[in-house]
Amino acid sequence: MSNDGASGRLLPALAVTGLFAVLAATALSAGFGEATGFPADASVVHNVGYALFNLEEVASIPSEGFLAAFLIVAVALDVAVDGAIYLARREDDGSVVAAIGEALTDGGER
Amino acid sequence: MVPVEWYLLLAAGLFCIGLFGVLTRRDALYFLMSVELMMNAANVNFVAFALYYGDLTGQVFALFVIALAAAEVAVGIGIILVLYRNFGDIDVTVPAEMRW
Amino acid sequence: MFDVYVPTVVLLPFVSFLVALGAGQYLPKRGALSGIAATGGSLLLSLLIAASVAGGQAYNETLYVWAAGEQFTLTFGALIDPLSALMLVIVSLVALLVHVFSLGYMNDEGEVGLPRYYAGLGLFTASMLGFVVADNLLMAFMFFELVGLCSYLLIGFHFREPGPPSAAKKAFLVTRFGDYFFLVGVVAVFATFGTAAFAGEGSFPALAEAALAGSTTVWTPGDLEVQTWFTVVGLLVLGGVVGKSAQFPLHTWLPDAMEGPTPVSALIHAATMVAAGVYLVARMYGFYALTPTTLAVIAFVGGFTALFAATMGVVKDELKQVLAYSTISQYGYMMLALGAGGYVAAVFHLTTHAFFKALLFLGAGSVIIAMHHNENMWDMGGLRSRLPVTYYTFLAGSLALAGIFPFAGFWSKDEVLYEALVHGLNDPLLLGGYVMGLLAVPVTAFYTFRMVFLTFHGEPRSETARSPESVRWNVKGPLSVLGTLAVVTGFINMVPVQKVLGLEGIDYLHRWLDNEWGGIAGLSSHHYAEVGPYSSAYLVGGEAGTVLVGAAVSLGLALTGLGVAWRLYDVPTPTEHTAALGGIKAVLYNNYYLDELQVWLAYRIEDIAGGADTVDQGIIDGVVNGVSSVSLAGGSRVRRIQTGLVSEYAAMLTLGLLALLVVLGLNGGWFL
Repeated sequence: MSNDGASGRLLPALAVTGLFAVLAATALSAGFGEATGFPADASVVHNVGYALFNLEEVASIPSEGFLAAFLIVAVALDVAVDGAIYLARREDDGSVVAAIGEALTDGGER
Repeated sequence: MVPVEWYLLLAAGLFCIGLFGVLTRRDALYFLMSVELMMNAANVNFVAFALYYGDLTGQVFALFVIALAAAEVAVGIGIILVLYRNFGDIDVTVPAEMRW
Repeated sequence: MFDVYVPTVVLLPFVSFLVALGAGQYLPKRGALSGIAATGGSLLLSLLIAASVAGGQAYNETLYVWAAGEQFTLTFGALIDPLSALMLVIVSLVALLVHVFSLGYMNDEGEVGLPRYYAGLGLFTASMLGFVVADNLLMAFMFFELVGLCSYLLIGFHFREPGPPSAAKKAFLVTRFGDYFFLVGVVAVFATFGTAAFAGEGSFPALAEAALAGSTTVWTPGDLEVQTWFTVVGLLVLGGVVGKSAQFPLHTWLPDAMEGPTPVSALIHAATMVAAGVYLVARMYGFYALTPTTLAVIAFVGGFTALFAATMGVVKDELKQVLAYSTISQYGYMMLALGAGGYVAAVFHLTTHAFFKALLFLGAGSVIIAMHHNENMWDMGGLRSRLPVTYYTFLAGSLALAGIFPFAGFWSKDEVLYEALVHGLNDPLLLGGYVMGLLAVPVTAFYTFRMVFLTFHGEPRSETARSPESVRWNVKGPLSVLGTLAVVTGFINMVPVQKVLGLEGIDYLHRWLDNEWGGIAGLSSHHYAEVGPYSSAYLVGGEAGTVLVGAAVSLGLALTGLGVAWRLYDVPTPTEHTAALGGIKAVLYNNYYLDELQVWLAYRIEDIAGGADTVDQGIIDGVVNGVSSVSLAGGSRVRRIQTGLVSEYAAMLTLGLLALLVVLGLNGGWFL
């Protein structure tokens, strides 16, 4: 774990603290009323499942339908795994990934 | 029932801690961990408001965020790998080619 | 009829210019014949125009409006009255004779580049004719500049030798210096009167007269008095006149202009272009007559120049140089006449001088052809038996120049001096001019006949003089015409005879310029006499007596000068008697070192210009460069934000977000 000196962290610290202060001030000064909770006897997990598969009729807690998003995320996860494998792969002669390698003028041979 | 403001404060706090890590950490893996932390802060926000409004949309959305965070980490680690191969170090302050 | 004739008179030589320029190299005489035809046509039309004026017609019209603004309009127009009709005849006649002479001087001598020469002559003639007929000051200025340009082109005709281009540049620069003041004067006239027209109800002389009488108001800068401002304007325009007519101190270009071919010297630097300045003052005389101070300046400068140039002509060795200084001196006489209120005398001398000086130059050209272009008078001698026509015509011209009775120059010079005397008896400054003019008379006669005797009399002093090249009809013809004119032109205005013998009506030029046959109201000589500031005073015997005394004195002085030259130079082998003048000769020969003075002044002004250049480059350009360098420096500082480190970019993002939220929150009342 490499660290900067304390001086190099002052500005980020101040920025972050300021941001927290602003967010906190906003949250606390906004007048929220009573929270509408979930019905006591409803199973949240079951209802999440119903929402994922667009089965709003049987749901006891209202929600949107997320079937399309579910399928798209499945595709996105698949793409991510493929991308990760592709980035990690080496060529036969030991050089790094071809496309990325060609983007650098020296072919990545450093 | 816990007032929703407290959840918001928690989320803000998590977010700022994660942001501090992004701004300060030199090791790329710690950088990714801090980004994860920021995403989780957003998740807390989603779930808190799902309870406040009594609508499950927030929780389902948080699920998707988790899934995509995982995908993002996978790609991110691939990028760190390429970074290491090109610069010999996973310190994020080392690659400074695109500068003035 | 006028609106066809007048533009044709001006445009015919312009057409010959175009012909010579475009087709000259293919023509047998390289453009000479078209030039002769054009100037011949202009002469015929000028004579017709003069006849029309004699028949009672006059013309003052605007032909073309080239810029119409709210406050004034800029036009081209024509003004035909007795003065301009006379000048048209003079200019076109001399131009025609010079064109014919050029056949002998240029074509027969085998010169090269002749299309350029005839093109220059054609353009010059067109510009001069345009100047003569101009009806407003701005148009006159434009043609004034055009003739200056043609003079430059023609002086520098032999541009491959070192002398002519330098002389052409000097002529152009010196006259341009004067023309700068002229231009300011033109602008001043427009600003003051709103018009620059010479004649008519709304012309600026008429407006000036009305302003001085108090019946209209004109603009003056600051709180200047009207009379003072008019004097200033007159003096500004006089700047151009002094430059163009080679008066002191802007006379230095004329002797150098003799580097041009002799027909050019005859046409431009004797008879017509240098006359432009005097003609301009005569044209504007209704305005000048209102300002006594300017008139006094003109008279004094003229008289001074007459004497001053005559002294320099005494020691020169080259034929054309003597004639150049003679030209400067004679134009001094015309300026003296104008300044002294002798409008008719000045125009009379302009006319006679145009003829006899052109004659003398063409005669010199004939001698130069004969002497194979050797101009040094000390190599000549005995040419009178070998070139008889040249000799007799040259003699006639010299007698006219010296002012010997009954040749043309006697009558005109005598009238100039008479007017200066008669008006000067009441005005000491004029009298000073008169005295200087009178003193110049014997000097003029002396150098003129020194020139004649050295060139034509005695024994030939060189081989070329013993067997000179003969000249043909195209040289002798113009010489004969001009020789005749030098004899008879004086008879158009024999004022002394009229006054002494009481014969009324023989002063034709006086009557002509007095609009007796026809003319434009307000431009007559009696009108000028009315508005002018001079009154006449007479010596013993009243008018007739004064005339006789004046004529006798000037004739006596002229004969004295002639006699001295005869004693010294009419011997078989004359010696350089001017060496007896000692140190004065060096001063005179070097033109009182005025050329050197002008060069020195030019260098001083160059130093000042260096200062102005520093201001321009250092300050003005410096400011502009400074602005850009601020931008460049700022840019090079600001770009260091891009360090290439992602963490720092994220930090900037955070700060930006923070600022945005704070601003939005404060505006939107989130925190209150």
